[in-house]
Amino acid sequence: MSFSALAALVAAEPTVAPPSGFWGVLANWANAFIDTFKIGGENFVGLVTGIIPTLIVLLTAVNALIRWIGPDRIDRVGEMAARPGLQYYPIRYLVLPVLSVFILTNPMAYTMGRFLPERYKPAFYDSAVSYVHPITGIFPHANGGELFVYLGIAAGIQTLGLPLGDLALRYLLVGMVVIFIRGVLTEFITARMMARRTASDAANAEAVA
Amino acid sequence: METINKTLVTIGRSVGGVVGVLYQAGRDTIDMVIRNILPFMAFISVIVGIIKKTGVGDKLAHLIEPAAGSLPGLLLISVFCAIPVLSPLLGPGAVIAQIVGVLLGERIGAGNIQPQYALPALFAINPQVGCDFIPVGLALGEAEPETVEIGVPAVLFSRLVTGPLSVVIAYLASFGLYSS
Repeated sequence: MSFSALAALVAAEPTVAPPSGFWGVLANWANAFIDTFKIGGENFVGLVTGIIPTLIVLLTAVNALIRWIGPDRIDRVGEMAARPGLQYYPIRYLVLPVLSVFILTNPMAYTMGRFLPERYKPAFYDSAVSYVHPITGIFPHANGGELFVYLGIAAGIQTLGLPLGDLALRYLLVGMVVIFIRGVLTEFITARMMARRTASDAANAEAVA
Repeated sequence: METINKTLVTIGRSVGGVVGVLYQAGRDTIDMVIRNILPFMAFISVIVGIIKKTGVGDKLAHLIEPAAGSLPGLLLISVFCAIPVLSPLLGPGAVIAQIVGVLLGERIGAGNIQPQYALPALFAINPQVGCDFIPVGLALGEAEPETVEIGVPAVLFSRLVTGPLSVVIAYLASFGLYSS
């Protein structure tokens, strides 16, 4: 083969043809496969560099604060919340759940229910568990494993270039209103169900006798 | 001399205490990041990769987008999440709420959903919070088995009312948020 023929051959195929046929399909599939994880990886780096550094510093500060306060300080609030009477509702379904979620975090916060009589326990749990997401907007230490309920939506707000503080604060405050209503309503439902249970037990006992 | 010694010891002790607490707090933090936060970020990233590449996310998002962009739609989502049979299934680890949160966030970022709906949406996707965990949560509070028996349905039924109610409250509270 002469040199000119070789040159013509090189000139005729200056670019690589896109893969076609059976192997082409496979190759395209492989590209899409890798791309999927590339996109995922970029997303991961974005999360790690965007969220983790601030989060670590904030978590350290709040964890230290909680250690200084001492988790057993809120036991007294728990005892106060167990009292009957209208004026103790806000303590039972607002102060106690917020403090226990902040200081004991998810899931240890629910142990504060031990100070309450049985009829308040479901309502306290309902109230406390409903606060583990609203609190993450400003205090992510309370529920580190479930940050993305807030962070997912907050990411969209950030993309638009809007400040997050307003949303986080309103989430925190509306959360307080909601957990209070939840506590009161669940206590009411629990009381009704317990009364019905006792009534039916009494009826059964009568039927047996 | 005695007093100086005492002061020195006190200062040394308190500084050591402060440093120790901060160091332990840092240790707890890194532990939490590695054990809870990073794994979930990895998980979310895999989902985001698949959703973006396959276009499933767009279809899913188009499905929830009309619902998430209006008050009646958000109420519908909250009622759905609060149905007593479904709520314990949707609850575990808040995984569903977190994925829907990420999807809605992307739609808000793309401008398909107005940003002031972010607040009611946060409550609309979350009436099922903790519904899978009621017996365990009550047991942590040292509740009797009879209380658990009544507590589970009591909480589930209460959510059916307070779920949509929370969306309405959040909607009212979102006036003036990200809009002039």
